[in-house]
Amino acid sequence: MKAVLLHYGKLLLSSLLLFLAVLTVLFLLLEIAPGDPVQSLIGDNPVSDEFRAQVTAAFGLDRPIWERYVIYIANVFQGNLGYSFGSSMTVSELIMSRIGNTLALALPAFVISTLGGLLIGAIAASTRSRWLDGGMSGLAVALFSIPNFWLGLLLIMLFSITLGWLPVQGKGPYGSEGISPEYLILPMLTMATSELAYKARIMRSSMIESLGQDFVDTARSKGLSRNQVLWRHAMPNALLPMVTVSGYSLGFALAGSVVVERVFGWPGMGLLLLDAIQRNNNQVVLGVTIVITISILIINILTDVVYGLVDPRLRARFSSKQGSAA
Amino acid sequence: MSSTPKLDTEALATASRAAEAPPTGYVKTRPGGKRRESVWRGFFRKPSTIIYLGLIAVMVLASFVGPLFAGDPVATTHPQFLPPSADFLLGTDHLGRDYLARVLAGGQVSLLVGFSVAILCMTLGLIIGGVAGFYGGFWDTALVKLAEFFQVLPGIVLALVAAALLGANVWIIVVILSITMWPAVARIVRAEAMRIAQLGYVESQRAAGFKSLRILISDVLPNAMPPVIVATTMTVGRAILIESSLAFLGIGDSNNPSWGALLNSAQSYMATGWWLALFPGLAIFIVVLAINMLGDSLNDALNPSIGKVK
Repeated sequence: MKAVLLHYGKLLLSSLLLFLAVLTVLFLLLEIAPGDPVQSLIGDNPVSDEFRAQVTAAFGLDRPIWERYVIYIANVFQGNLGYSFGSSMTVSELIMSRIGNTLALALPAFVISTLGGLLIGAIAASTRSRWLDGGMSGLAVALFSIPNFWLGLLLIMLFSITLGWLPVQGKGPYGSEGISPEYLILPMLTMATSELAYKARIMRSSMIESLGQDFVDTARSKGLSRNQVLWRHAMPNALLPMVTVSGYSLGFALAGSVVVERVFGWPGMGLLLLDAIQRNNNQVVLGVTIVITISILIINILTDVVYGLVDPRLRARFSSKQGSAA
Repeated sequence: MSSTPKLDTEALATASRAAEAPPTGYVKTRPGGKRRESVWRGFFRKPSTIIYLGLIAVMVLASFVGPLFAGDPVATTHPQFLPPSADFLLGTDHLGRDYLARVLAGGQVSLLVGFSVAILCMTLGLIIGGVAGFYGGFWDTALVKLAEFFQVLPGIVLALVAAALLGANVWIIVVILSITMWPAVARIVRAEAMRIAQLGYVESQRAAGFKSLRILISDVLPNAMPPVIVATTMTVGRAILIESSLAFLGIGDSNNPSWGALLNSAQSYMATGWWLALFPGLAIFIVVLAINMLGDSLNDALNPSIGKVK
């Protein structure tokens, strides 16, 4: 038990340090970026020097860099991500209003890509038909090599413009609240595709490795059927790398949603980030990046927890004495 | 360190598995020895290799030599929105520019970024991964933490924010992408270097009194190359994909539009000119597919025990 606590304590600590490092890099990037923040607050109007000094002082921009750094870190840890002048909302409110839309896209895409990747990878690994394996592996490489946004454009051109079956952009008819399912289909599929290809490739190599292990031979020699050997014995063992990969890919899907959201005009966090970048709204840019980083860190910790739950060898190591994580 | 292996690319996954499997990858001859020569010869004789290399060569030649023969990519003298025809193989765009010329010129940017990033990543990866894996101790911990940092912050967001803040010419993009992408290669080099450092012949070199830097450069790194070559190949493809995503999002050198940037402007004309959205994407797809396939068969050739059912 102690080893488990130590392990997760270490994990939390290192996540926290990574988070601080990310915050620091963002802060420094903003510092070295060209452009005068005071000028952009004032706008292009000619103003007196006193007014300029007033604005500078009001935002604490006259303080030394380390002081601003400490204030900035303290604010982030209090959940204060700043204020967006463009939309008269705090950055946190702005992000909260968008994060649901991104999740509505990323979570179904995650489920589809994980199940699909598992199935395709397992079949490609276990089939005796070289043709089927080659076909599925080839498909996975192809989907993996398609630029995601281009696939989105092609889907729009086919299903929305040519066939007219599905809407082109947005999350629902104009003026409606919430998300309409027919608007979700294309962006969700676009997002799932490259993830699916990636997971299928990992699953295939993991399954091949699993099928080569001795316990599979044992199961076969006990006279179990092919399917039993495959799904009951080889599969659970092959799932372990998939847990890690899926966790990471979920984090990266949140970041990658920027591209899909841009293609489909999906009003999530990614689109918010892009708008903010175009308008030089640095508070929002920072805020979204911070939220994405936090999400990824949390997902990574959860991945580690799940990994510990599903891998009995790891549990055994924890319960033994010398069991701090390698 | 967390107990779960951190994976972020397909190349990494297969290649790190290569690193874990003890008997492979390492060949106890210097590069250029007999076995390696025959591996390469076999590789270059495979018809599929020739097809992939041929595809890549065609795209590179078309992008860098083609513009000498194609029309002016910025001349707006032609009719607008002409579909592909014998006169304009890829049609014309919304300003009446020859789209073939634009796609070829766009290839220069995409390919240049892809190959430059891969070379930089390989260099950084060899230095950082080599030092971390071979010397171990403090260096290892520090460099692993550094790599972890770049794997937590997703490359595309960091690149997006950095490029937006620092400006976005081609070389800034190359540097930003390299900074975010080197850990994939470094991780593999590190694992290989750790493994090779344990081997008897390295020990005998040490006993013979060679300096460790010399051993690292002349023995460890060359023997770590097979999985590194695979990972670097895959990096070319990934860099082209990420660059095109950034350009599609409007982050890129507006004077030198890459394939992604062409798709960015094509999005507004999908209903009028399907060819505008089709061809640049097809170009990216062909190049990246050929590179990934090449990477796969390189992996089969250089790390032979991986991915075979026994």
